Amino acid sequence: MAEAANPADQVPVTVLTGYLGAGKTTLLNRILSENHGQKYAVVINEFGELGVDNDLVVDTDEEVFEMNNGCICCTVRGDLIRIVGGLMKRRDKFDGIIIETTGLANPAPVAQTFFVDDTVKEKTRLDAIVTVVDAKHLPQRLLDSHEAADQLAFADVIVLNKIDLVTPDELAAVEVQIRKINKFAKIHYSTKSNVPIAELLNQGAFDLNRVLVHTPDFLTSDEHEHNDDIASMSFEAKKPIDPERFNAWMGALLAEQGGNLLRTKGILSYEGDDRRFAFQAVHMIADGDFIGPWKEGEERTSRIVFIGRNLNRPQLRRGFESCQAI
Amino acid sequence: MSSTVSPDQVLQTRGTSRALDAFVVAASFDRAGTACAFALGDGGVVIKRRAGEDFVRSNVHEGAILALGTDPVSGGWITGGDDGRFNRVRPDGTDALIATHGMRWVENVASFTDGKTHLLACGVGKKAIIYNAKDEVVKTFEHPSTVTGVVFDPKGKRIAASHYNGASVWFVASRSDAPRKLEWKGSHIGLTMSPDGDCVVTAMQENSLHGWRLSDNQHMRMSGYPAKTRALSFTRNGKWLATSGADSIVLWPFFGGGPMGKPPTELAGGDGTTCNLVAAHPRDELIAAGFADGLVIIADIGSARILPVAAPGRGPISALCWSPDGSHLAFGTETGFAAVVDLSKR
Repeated sequence: MAEAANPADQVPVTVLTGYLGAGKTTLLNRILSENHGQKYAVVINEFGELGVDNDLVVDTDEEVFEMNNGCICCTVRGDLIRIVGGLMKRRDKFDGIIIETTGLANPAPVAQTFFVDDTVKEKTRLDAIVTVVDAKHLPQRLLDSHEAADQLAFADVIVLNKIDLVTPDELAAVEVQIRKINKFAKIHYSTKSNVPIAELLNQGAFDLNRVLVHTPDFLTSDEHEHNDDIASMSFEAKKPIDPERFNAWMGALLAEQGGNLLRTKGILSYEGDDRRFAFQAVHMIADGDFIGPWKEGEERTSRIVFIGRNLNRPQLRRGFESCQAI
Repeated sequence: MSSTVSPDQVLQTRGTSRALDAFVVAASFDRAGTACAFALGDGGVVIKRRAGEDFVRSNVHEGAILALGTDPVSGGWITGGDDGRFNRVRPDGTDALIATHGMRWVENVASFTDGKTHLLACGVGKKAIIYNAKDEVVKTFEHPSTVTGVVFDPKGKRIAASHYNGASVWFVASRSDAPRKLEWKGSHIGLTMSPDGDCVVTAMQENSLHGWRLSDNQHMRMSGYPAKTRALSFTRNGKWLATSGADSIVLWPFFGGGPMGKPPTELAGGDGTTCNLVAAHPRDELIAAGFADGLVIIADIGSARILPVAAPGRGPISALCWSPDGSHLAFGTETGFAAVVDLSKR
């Protein structure tokens, strides 16, 4: 079958989410107009307005559909599958692809598209989900919508924008709120979306390596969280993981709780293998592959991260620990 | 021993080829079969005439060309591009705009002629738009979601379009603008119609095919593909539907009660490389196939014999077509290789 895709040939894709008015369009316009030496194809939605004329801007209707694979939460963006296929016909004309989603969009179908469609998977790699939030209005957004929290939960990178409109105390409070939902994303603070573009695009942020290396603390208490708020948790295991046990546990977990698990990512040390195994899932759709070897002398600690609703910390911890080879 | 025939021999001895330096999106001979056009990802159309060795380029679109078909009006070709243009390329290589659709991609084109009536069609967003020989819009058919394929029936009376949750069949001359809806849940990504106009078959996102027999509303499900089917091609007599998406040519029998309950016939399989495209010969029961490693072969359905045309190594096959008389085969690859092979008796 198809040969393993060479990551160097894969086009990096950045997904840009965020509420209307958060500063997404400002950021896009900066990416398109600033001189950073890279050319991006940009997929915007029907409500998008760009001030920049660019023949690589594609206007699309977000067409989400369910896959007929017996998995109810497996929805993908059919329009993106077509557009990525079309853009690949002039692959030499751009360095990366940026996909803007509508303000109210759930990021899951976009992310799942990169797991489910073989052509998309082979030709592109999801570089990062970037969520732009408005420091002033985020608290209200989190109160009145599900999507605002989902967009934060899915983020690899968060642009905390309009910080000039809040006091230092308000900013600190917003950050606490963000961290409650997503402990692991990198946060950029900005006014007028003035983030250094080079630190946003082609970062390999979706790459688990980085995510997990930057993960701050793994020593968390064992409180049982049981509510509809999104939380993030991480666990580690010192002993090597038995792949069969892990697959059985993860398979059952995703089948049972995939609806609540927004994102799952992990770097695993498999017993008897010198390579790191990277695992990730969006809801029930999972994917995994060996990535480079462990470094010489590096402690081979397996780590896993969950972001979702109704996470049962002791249960997840015990489950992961039981995957260790005896 | 070097007595084995090189898999590249047909291309070497009977082919004319060129590196075109852009993704070959599609290839098509004109209706008269005098020239073959290659549509490229950089917006160019390159024409190779039957006589001569030249590949002559015209710049037709601003971005990538997404679709190519024949043009009964000029005797040349029609093209759709991601610059929103629906264009005509005349046999001499000059081009003219048929219509522009702004930022919307023109992803599908089709045409029909019976010698008197000429019809052109393009799929743009959720619309399938039909034009007459004067490039005037005859009909605009709206669908619930983006059109992923358009095809005229063999008599030019109807046009079928695939989209999410099925396909729609419209009468071109109908006054009432309601289609016959062929429903099946899921994402349908392309379609074809049988030569007798009775069967519509779509390819689906989930690596399977779905079909409808119009005369008795029979559904047909054809599954088991490891990859998406990009090409659906009926043999001339309608007996076989050749398809890509497996590591062989998969042929579904449309006779003897099939394809329902019948296993498909597989040809040229076994080396683990995905068959990207297939094209049924316009006259005989032969199927040309192009693979992901660049291999091009011709398979004889009756004898299951395989004639290698081009060896692997020039990029994944992305375009494949026969001349109308079946004497020439053209193919192109994702990495810009293009060739026309003369298979006529010498």
